[in-house]
Amino acid sequence: MKSSYLRASAALACAVVLTACGGDDGQLLLGGTITGVTKPGMVLTNNGGSDYEIPVPSNGTGATSFFFPNLISSDDKYDVQVKSKPTNVDQCTLIQNTGRAGFDVNTIRITCTFKTQALTGTVSNLKNELVLVNGSDRVTVPAGATTFAMARVAQDAPYGVSILANPAGQSCTIANGVGTVGAADVNNVTVTCAP
Amino acid sequence: MKSSLIRPALALALAASLAACGGSDKAEFTVAGSVNGLVYDDLVLTNAGVPLKVAPPATAGASVRFAFPDKLEYGDTYDVRVLTHPKHQFCEPGVPVDGLYANNADTAGRLVTIDIAIACRINEYTVGGTITGLTGAGLVLANGSTGGTYTAATPATPPATTPITYALPTVKFGTTYGVTVSKQPAGQVCTVVNPTGTMGDAEVTNVNVTCVPA
Repeated sequence: MKSSYLRASAALACAVVLTACGGDDGQLLLGGTITGVTKPGMVLTNNGGSDYEIPVPSNGTGATSFFFPNLISSDDKYDVQVKSKPTNVDQCTLIQNTGRAGFDVNTIRITCTFKTQALTGTVSNLKNELVLVNGSDRVTVPAGATTFAMARVAQDAPYGVSILANPAGQSCTIANGVGTVGAADVNNVTVTCAP
Repeated sequence: MKSSLIRPALALALAASLAACGGSDKAEFTVAGSVNGLVYDDLVLTNAGVPLKVAPPATAGASVRFAFPDKLEYGDTYDVRVLTHPKHQFCEPGVPVDGLYANNADTAGRLVTIDIAIACRINEYTVGGTITGLTGAGLVLANGSTGGTYTAATPATPPATTPITYALPTVKFGTTYGVTVSKQPAGQVCTVVNPTGTMGDAEVTNVNVTCVPA
């Protein structure tokens, strides 16, 4: 009788150890890269849990790599989804967001697009071609134009319209060229050229 | 006696078939592949010292096929590298679609065909300069709406007398930049000199910011 008790308790001990191994405390990273995070509120989940809010990258580009703080185990299934989005995000596309872990996972790709607003303004007294930029967005304004439109800008993004090339024989100044786009179109950028 | 006749016949047949294997139908392999992301001229690849110029695609964004003229035999090794980068770009062996590793060097015959992936990207450099006279907290510089921002650290008290060197995120060659003061620091007004330009082949370090009391 004694030995059968021993066996049972040994089996129980084994079961306890195995359960512990199968728990949440794995040893593999789960992550990837994400774009479109310029404000708080981007929360990812794995298998419907492990909620993780992506910290906002400090350089303003909205692109960052991420890893869930909860590690997963070898052979665990993962299914990463976007649980909630910042208010300025339109939609997110997820690639390689489901699978079964063999090694550390860093192949998840999440690309989020922003809600955008128009960025337009007026020009006065323009006698030759003017080139405006908002960072990488370059717009050539023809002679005689009275309005211009830059590329649409993401909500909550900064904008700064400046002059790349003045018109021949003229010098232009910009008013209201700098700001942050809210939930409405920006249409008050004013360019005045002289003489 | 019967078996002694069969054996030489078998040996003959075996010899004949081996000879057929060694005949003129030797497998040959072309060292070929494709270059993705090539925009500018002057890319030169090399395989074992043999150079091969690769021109950009006629259609922007398309990939370009290349093939070295010399054929390889089964068991020959190849090692394709970038000898000269194109203007304004950086190229390197890339990971093929559905692949895990770069496949620019291997032994001919291990795979049915040799199809090397080379990936090119446009060089990019930071945009920056110096900030002089900053005493207030909260200065934020921005490069348009998508070029990133720079948030200045709160100045020490008393403020450092030497200018602060800053850099905004990188901009690709040929792309414009336009740096503006997105948020003025407390109690000050900052202005930017040389705020706009088109990225060349070096870091931009002359976008200087001067701050004065408001």
